[in-house]
Amino acid sequence: MKSLRREFSSNPEAANVASKVFVRSTKSGKVQKIVRELYLRQDIPCSSKLCSHCPSIAPADANGNITPFVLSDRPAGTKAFPRGHYLVPDTNALLNGMDLCEHTGAFYDVIILQTVLEELRNQSLPLYNRLIALIKTDEKRFYLFFNEFRLETHVRREPDESINDRNDRAVRAVAKWYDEHLKATVKKGKKEKTIPAIVVITDDKENLRKAKEENVTALSLASYVDGLEDSAKLLDMISEAREARDAKGSVRGELFYPEYYSMSKLQTGLRAGNLHQGIFNVSPYNYQEGSVNVPAFDKSLLILGRDNSNRAISGDTVVVEVLPKDQWKSPSTKIMDEEAVTRNENADAEDTEAVVTDRERQALQEEVKLAHGKNSEGKPQPTARVVGVIKRNWRQYVGHVDSTSTGSLAASGRRLQTVFVLPMDKKVPKIRLRTRQAGDLVGERILVTIDAWDRDSRYPSGHFIRSLGQLETKEAETEALLLEHDVQYKPFSKAILDCLPAEGHDWKVPASKEDKGWKGRRDLRDLLICSIDPPGCQDIDDALHARPLPNGNFEVGVHIADVSHFVKPNNPMDVEASVRGSTVYLVDKRIDMLPHLLGTDLCSLKPYVERYAFSVIWEVTPDAEIVSSDFTKSVIRSREAFSYERAQLRIDDPSQTDELTQSMRTLLKFSKILRQKRYDAGALNLASPEVRIEADADEVGDPLADVKTKAMLATNSLVEEFMLLANITVASKIYESFSQIALLRRHATPPPQNFEDLINQLSKKRNMRLDVSSSGALANSLDQCVDPKNPFFNTLVRILATRCMTSAEYFCAGAHAESEFRHYGLASPIYTHFTSPIRRYADLLVHRQLASAIGYEGEDGHAKVEGISTRSKLEDICRNINYRHRNAQFAGRASIEYYVGQALKARGEKMAAGGADQGVNEEGYVMRVFENGVVVFVPRFGIEGVVRLEDFMLPGESSSWSVTERRELAAHRSTEFDPEEYTLRVEEKGHEAERNVVVELFQRVQVNVSSVKEEGRGAGKRRVRILITGTTDNTK
Amino acid sequence: MPLDTSTTYPLTKLRLDGRRWNELRLIQAQISTNAASSGSSYLTMGNTSVMCSVHGPAAGRRGEATGSAGSAGAIVDVDVNLAGFAAVDRRRRGGGSDKKSSRMEVLLRSAFQSHLYTHLYPHSTISIHVSILSADGSVLAAAINACTLALVDAGIPMPGLLTACTSGMSGSALTPKDPRSDELDPLLDMALPEEQELPFMTIATTTKLPVGEDQMDEEQETGISFMSMDAKVHSTYLETMMAVGIDGCGQIRELFEGVIKSSSRA
Repeated sequence: MKSLRREFSSNPEAANVASKVFVRSTKSGKVQKIVRELYLRQDIPCSSKLCSHCPSIAPADANGNITPFVLSDRPAGTKAFPRGHYLVPDTNALLNGMDLCEHTGAFYDVIILQTVLEELRNQSLPLYNRLIALIKTDEKRFYLFFNEFRLETHVRREPDESINDRNDRAVRAVAKWYDEHLKATVKKGKKEKTIPAIVVITDDKENLRKAKEENVTALSLASYVDGLEDSAKLLDMISEAREARDAKGSVRGELFYPEYYSMSKLQTGLRAGNLHQGIFNVSPYNYQEGSVNVPAFDKSLLILGRDNSNRAISGDTVVVEVLPKDQWKSPSTKIMDEEAVTRNENADAEDTEAVVTDRERQALQEEVKLAHGKNSEGKPQPTARVVGVIKRNWRQYVGHVDSTSTGSLAASGRRLQTVFVLPMDKKVPKIRLRTRQAGDLVGERILVTIDAWDRDSRYPSGHFIRSLGQLETKEAETEALLLEHDVQYKPFSKAILDCLPAEGHDWKVPASKEDKGWKGRRDLRDLLICSIDPPGCQDIDDALHARPLPNGNFEVGVHIADVSHFVKPNNPMDVEASVRGSTVYLVDKRIDMLPHLLGTDLCSLKPYVERYAFSVIWEVTPDAEIVSSDFTKSVIRSREAFSYERAQLRIDDPSQTDELTQSMRTLLKFSKILRQKRYDAGALNLASPEVRIEADADEVGDPLADVKTKAMLATNSLVEEFMLLANITVASKIYESFSQIALLRRHATPPPQNFEDLINQLSKKRNMRLDVSSSGALANSLDQCVDPKNPFFNTLVRILATRCMTSAEYFCAGAHAESEFRHYGLASPIYTHFTSPIRRYADLLVHRQLASAIGYEGEDGHAKVEGISTRSKLEDICRNINYRHRNAQFAGRASIEYYVGQALKARGEKMAAGGADQGVNEEGYVMRVFENGVVVFVPRFGIEGVVRLEDFMLPGESSSWSVTERRELAAHRSTEFDPEEYTLRVEEKGHEAERNVVVELFQRVQVNVSSVKEEGRGAGKRRVRILITGTTDNTK
Repeated sequence: MPLDTSTTYPLTKLRLDGRRWNELRLIQAQISTNAASSGSSYLTMGNTSVMCSVHGPAAGRRGEATGSAGSAGAIVDVDVNLAGFAAVDRRRRGGGSDKKSSRMEVLLRSAFQSHLYTHLYPHSTISIHVSILSADGSVLAAAINACTLALVDAGIPMPGLLTACTSGMSGSALTPKDPRSDELDPLLDMALPEEQELPFMTIATTTKLPVGEDQMDEEQETGISFMSMDAKVHSTYLETMMAVGIDGCGQIRELFEGVIKSSSRA
């Protein structure tokens, strides 16, 4: 009988097979033992450009391509390593120093080991993803070395060795091997002097000691960074998490926060329905009030106070436990600012303080009283407390150092001190930062990240990443704005620019119709096409035409830039565009989604030149009924690029009777009919507080003159109507062809409870009814909400109504039932985005889908399949573009807000030259009433701001303008707040009778707007201050 | 969580067990392992190990009472037993076969029924018994290979060796192949973690002539006689996967020829 055991001795290859055995436990608690084979080999290259041996053994992939070598032949060095070095970080070094690795000033030529990558993935998935991204970029020269598969560097675990010790040994083994390998193989003639040192970076003391024994160069992260130039700045970038971990052993101070439940307890609780999971949101008006939306309750759960929010930060996915009913409260009616309440805390000496300071407690207490005092109106809402965090949503935060928290500047030197950073985002608590450069950082915009938030620390601790520049400088503030809204603003890399057509600006539509570029394209150069855009628009996405047909009907065409011709799927340009998602428009800057050459030239439907386009052509009856629609790729020549104003003038000018003008008049006529039809179907006319900035105005005039509210011309809606029509037509076409993967856009019907507050307010204050049963009913009732004395009132209600709605989103057809496709605002059963492919990625995808749907083959026959994707991939893209779309809007608004602030400041300075800064007197409208202030909207500037007690000008008060003087006033004021009538009465103590003012919701008030410096707080932060100077109509 | 192929393969061109895209795992094969059967074999492909024994051809056909089906030839009867300890999770198996193994039985039967010269044995049965001792990917391919070896050992005539292997792609190949930026590589001989993550197919080829009779003819003609795929793959990738699979089958055939020859000499 033969033995069936694996006979290895006879097989020479078998000697190179090792096996990896590990034990893992599954979610259900089962323990599994996994055995895997490892094929050890000698053809894994070292990837150093110095090596003469490895290029000959470097492996090829299936297409015969060899991966280029990564590590530089002249790596950077430090004083200690004049010959240059390759770095080999271990897992802990990466956990603490990922920001350093991403820094452009240091950490080049890094060897990432398979062992380390695997360990990192087990510890932190986000860091793993960042590392993979780093390995993929060429600039940083990170090389992923699969050491476990290389015969020489494979390490077998010893019987009594812990897994960590084995991994550390593997790291040392690699360092040793690299050293020997390079010594042996460095190209002749370059001997000795040029061989770089191999430096292991580890924070493990035992590892450092053993490395010394084995003659391997090893340094701790901190001591390595210490040897670099600019070490002070870089040292600050080491994560604080480690120190927090180190400190864990020795219990210090008291524990401020309750412990989180264990993961198994959370899971059991969630399954049993005792606990609820949701995303933690913080109120923008009150930093102590958070809310969590959970499916089990229709109203969101309130989370009040620091104790209950238990270290959760806005955006985290948390698990909450509902508090007993006697602790339920109504949402606060008070504005609370963290900066104001915790102004004077000391960042260093926090151990002695309680987690909830007395001031905070007092503030909370008042609210509880209030909640219990009321009965009918202030329905208490369920409250909850956070018992666990499923997923942190920590990102990098832009902020500035709270100058009061730094020590005396003279002593700062390079001493390590702890300061507070106040993030720009009011929902994020201040961050404790240990830095050696506190003195330099004061007055700068800085980028920081949160590392940890332990039970024994009142505030999260983080580390410094980099400085963006002086506060209030244009560059720093613009970058801050982009970072805060996660806008990708780095210039396009070379790989992306390589995807552009080689001809550059000289690219032309091929002259010969035999050219492959003409394949499947219709020649529409004879049509009288024109484009209408805002003045100065360079990226012209769309153009239009209309002409009568012999049968009495009309042909109307919308022509969209054919971006998908230039951007092929999955090339670097496409990937970058899909990450960017959309072009972001700031006041003085545009962050493009596609490189300049495409966006403003080759794709842009500029006048007088031939361009590729994707056309949608309808035949319509004179009553604008659509007879048929047709889609085709085409070549067009736009006759003229109009601005809205110029188009309007041309249409209105009766002396113009040429064909182009006639066709524009036809278009205008149709657009009016289409618009009416849309409103009849129940489309909403929503409003958002929009102003436009014309930044190119001359320096001499009033800076505020640039700020203009957007005017609506008939030509605006001309373009808009046809774009809507094109989008709807295309949406049904792609849905017909791709029932699962069509990329559509929907706007969900908002749940009626969203409108509850607004309905209450309107009926109380104005005796008006809002019918939210359908979009048509809402549109009608919004039309009824007019105040003859106050023409802006209607717009105000529309703005408030818009805020009650959900936002529209991209989705992939398979993700929802067809009945859910509805676009609520447009009252269309199906909708997508097709008309702006230069500035939105969704449109580009839709273009590809439409091309596939109509069987367009393209130059190389691939266009037919370009539109096909998998649902999961599309869903990922949708998630990203929804997020980017939202951020782009926020960033644009923030930019305008910043610009308005700057304009006010510039004006203020001009005025100050001739006397005191008096601000600008304007009209404002009360949008919200709190117990200690109101929110006022100023339509002239499109801004809304909080007006605090001290900012009410009471009758008979001597006008004092400075911030400090006014702050004193707050203490002398008392208020009377009526939550049922939405009124706030502000009085001066002792003079209640004569010095008082009453404001109520929706009221028109006289305000004074100015940009003021927060005095007495060195940081020099500016804000737009709104003073209420008087009330006008007290119509009831 | 261990690493996965779709992220790390493009970076290093190495698979999770250290192989290149076109490398087989270590294959060990023995024949005549069980003297009590007509033919038997034991095969390991990496950590997958399969034992196979063949009985027959024996007179009589199971389930054929009247014999009306005629004398077309022997029928092949396959019985697959997936050992309870074969997979990661130990499972107690009740008697009879489960869905997975009965599906394999059907596939193996159809593969060999048409492959063997069954017309030489009318009114008889060739029964093949396959035991999967350890399943670490490419189980179906290993079973086909083990059966081929055992049938050769039993002396049942067939045109050439039927050898099988798996091939897959190094990422989810659901969208059309893009000739401009093709970053997916085909992979040969999938291990279990790869099978769980990536699309793959099992493919078996054979030659027209039996072993040893083609010495003169270098251009041995091979044909695909079996193919099975459960995954979703875009059709543009199919050709690449098949090419790699056919190549792998060829390598295995060479290896088996060596095994058979050395065993007959002994």
